[in-house]
Amino acid sequence: MSDSIFFTTLEELINWGRSNSVWPFTFGLACCAIEMMGTQGAHYDIGRFGSEIFRASPRQSDLMIVAGTVTKKMAPRVKRLYEQMASPRYVIAYGSCATSGGPYQGAYSVVMGVDKIIPVDVYVPGCPPTPEALIYAINKLQEKIRKGEAGR
Amino acid sequence: MIIEQGKTKDGSSYILIDKVSLIETLTSLKNEGYNYLVLMSAVDYKKYREVVYHLSSYNENKLIVVKVRPEDDTLPSATVLWDSANWFERELYDLMGIRFIGHPDLKRIFLPEGWVGHPLRKDYDMTKEQFVNMNDDGTDRVSFDPKDGW
Repeated sequence: MSDSIFFTTLEELINWGRSNSVWPFTFGLACCAIEMMGTQGAHYDIGRFGSEIFRASPRQSDLMIVAGTVTKKMAPRVKRLYEQMASPRYVIAYGSCATSGGPYQGAYSVVMGVDKIIPVDVYVPGCPPTPEALIYAINKLQEKIRKGEAGR
Repeated sequence: MIIEQGKTKDGSSYILIDKVSLIETLTSLKNEGYNYLVLMSAVDYKKYREVVYHLSSYNENKLIVVKVRPEDDTLPSATVLWDSANWFERELYDLMGIRFIGHPDLKRIFLPEGWVGHPLRKDYDMTKEQFVNMNDDGTDRVSFDPKDGW
């Protein structure tokens, strides 16, 4: 009997389930989206970690991967789409532009990092970051979800 | 009327013409076989601005650059010759502030409506940051107030 029964809290069970089916939101703003598509493709295959289904609707997705430059014109749309996502929702800032503005420092039309608009769970630096970096970020996010530290 | 002609740094030939004969020159070049408008751009030399047309040919391997200086920042629109000039001219209006007379729909193409100034001009005031927000009906709202928008 002892090897067929195990005890856990309901919260841990829920977090374990959530961490293994993080559905990303199709959210490519610039060239980083190409690497994001590469991560989703057969070679790197984000589906090994339960994130293969990119949803085209904020209502059906858990994770917003902000891949690319957030322009000032796009910023209110980013916020509105984030607000349309159901809780718990997670955000990865993917690439230099989304983390800090990157090469567009001081530009008249670019927001200096998506964390000025919405809360970010994991930052991925790089211009663009490799698909391995995105997989690592998703693994880190899964760790945070299992600990109950991520999600709003 | 051709004011100046020569070779650009990359070896393609250019002509500098006056504003009055712009459409006439472009029409005759189109009839000579330069039937494809590759790109339109503008340069701010502070003393004057210059609009540059790159024309090439689908049938022969040839390229010509037409330059013109709009004294009061207005030019006749080239949309009567090429439909592709439509968005090029909107871009030049948006970023460089050159108004094209006869354009069917001359409004900003990149920046939101209500933006103050034309950012690629040398005299654009970079010290005053502008912030964009969205109204409930989906239209853009631009202001100098950092609390209203990003």
